[in-house]
Amino acid sequence: MTMATSHITAAPEFPIIHRRRWGSWLLGAAALLLIATIIAAGIQARILDFPVFLEYLFSPLILTGALNAVILGTLALLIATAIGFVAALMRVSGNPILVALSSTYVYLFRGTPMLIQLIFWFNAVPIMFKTITIWLPYMDAPLVSVPTTVVVTPFIAALAGLSLAEGAYMSEIIRGGILAVDQGQRAAARALGMTQRKVLQQVVIPQAGRIIIPAAGNQYIMLLKSTSLASAVGYLELLRIATDIYSSNFRVVELLAVAAVWYLVMTAFATALQTTLEKLFPQR
Amino acid sequence: MKAAVSVMDISKAWGTYAALTNVSFDVASGEVVALLGPSGAGKSTILRCVNHLDSITAGRIYVHGSLIGYSEREDGLYELSDVEISRQRQSIGMVFQSFNLFRHLTAIQNVMSGPVHVLNMPKDKARQTALDLLDKVGLGQKGDSYPSQLSGGQQQRVAIARALAMSPKVMLLDEPTSALDPELAQEVVVTIKALAEEGQTMLIATHDMGIARDVADRVIFMESGRIVEDAPSKQFFTNPRSDRAKQFLSRFSAH
Repeated sequence: MTMATSHITAAPEFPIIHRRRWGSWLLGAAALLLIATIIAAGIQARILDFPVFLEYLFSPLILTGALNAVILGTLALLIATAIGFVAALMRVSGNPILVALSSTYVYLFRGTPMLIQLIFWFNAVPIMFKTITIWLPYMDAPLVSVPTTVVVTPFIAALAGLSLAEGAYMSEIIRGGILAVDQGQRAAARALGMTQRKVLQQVVIPQAGRIIIPAAGNQYIMLLKSTSLASAVGYLELLRIATDIYSSNFRVVELLAVAAVWYLVMTAFATALQTTLEKLFPQR
Repeated sequence: MKAAVSVMDISKAWGTYAALTNVSFDVASGEVVALLGPSGAGKSTILRCVNHLDSITAGRIYVHGSLIGYSEREDGLYELSDVEISRQRQSIGMVFQSFNLFRHLTAIQNVMSGPVHVLNMPKDKARQTALDLLDKVGLGQKGDSYPSQLSGGQQQRVAIARALAMSPKVMLLDEPTSALDPELAQEVVVTIKALAEEGQTMLIATHDMGIARDVADRVIFMESGRIVEDAPSKQFFTNPRSDRAKQFLSRFSAH
């Protein structure tokens, strides 16, 4: 051991010189220069009036919009996870009808733009079903009967649209997680005498859950930003409010910057949540 | 005496490939039987059929008198429900070649998982049983380690403890030492041998001559899904009757 150490300390007479990667340094410098030019151009043209930006950053309207976006995105993720879980189970069930239903759902809702889906739920459903009526058995009159337009508010339409579209993505993510759980884990659980349900609860969900956390975090971030699509059906989320403000005062860049900052804050929150979950439930 | 395991004329086919053909044997209570034979002989398939992880295409398997996986009616054998099959598996322990410890649980949680989630035993009681069992396999200090932090031999001993936690009437061991280097395999063989001495009924599929010769009472030698020879262990190793068994054993005689 000491022999080896003395060998190493004797080395400086013959230093080893690693090759410099000059190309990467040049490319990096060029990229920095380009970014600096763009920022300088922005400042010179005064595209952003900083006091105006600050004035709107914490305005109650904007904050309400940001909160609405977080509520919508978070609820949509939770519902999408539930839908995705059921669709994934159907897909791996082996039953041809369930498999076909699940894959058709995924194809349709993953294959069409979210915006189309949102507008569809807002406009088409009230036309297809004029009133929503809930009957209880052995009753002469319906328990509830309301016009569909009352129920399908912009919030409900946006929530349904985002949840159903996201559910298709989540189902594929969850299916991937389930398939990634080693078959031997299931065999061991069954051999202990666990029923299919117990195997799912005690072995498959805990292990698949850990596997899908990074991908689900990614989807959460995407969903928080996709809440901006709800502006199309008139839901007062962040982008919609920013748009409403700048269409009256023409401070387009300032308000878009304000919205962008809050989207970044949401993303930071989602990233922190993902990191925490990954630490709480590490893959072993 | 009634057999602990009774395999009666079972066959198993995957499509047109016959994995098992007319296999019959009994395992007496307290007996240790080794299933020997080349890869693909059907040893593991038999074990997986005994606890109905795989289903047979013909024949019957009884464990302590109950027909495994099916209920018998006048016009045939009807497959049992998930709950009923799970109940049958509770008294049949299984140990796998690749250990299959639940990797999100610690060693002690693995051992507790059967009693807690299948038998609904209170956690503190299950923990005590699990600690005793880990002690028994020489891993009393490793309870809080995750499977990924244990050596292969340690993982397999935890897996044995996990199976024992259900107080199984019969243990099925599917090549328990095949994934281990000789030194680690020896730890596991010692554990299995101790179980045999306690009178645990075991059916062991193995390539390990040490297990077959020193632990097993009887050897069933198989090839291509059929039983070639069924003999007491000592007789099988000293005086095999079939040519195929002689040929198989000659490869190990050098050791």
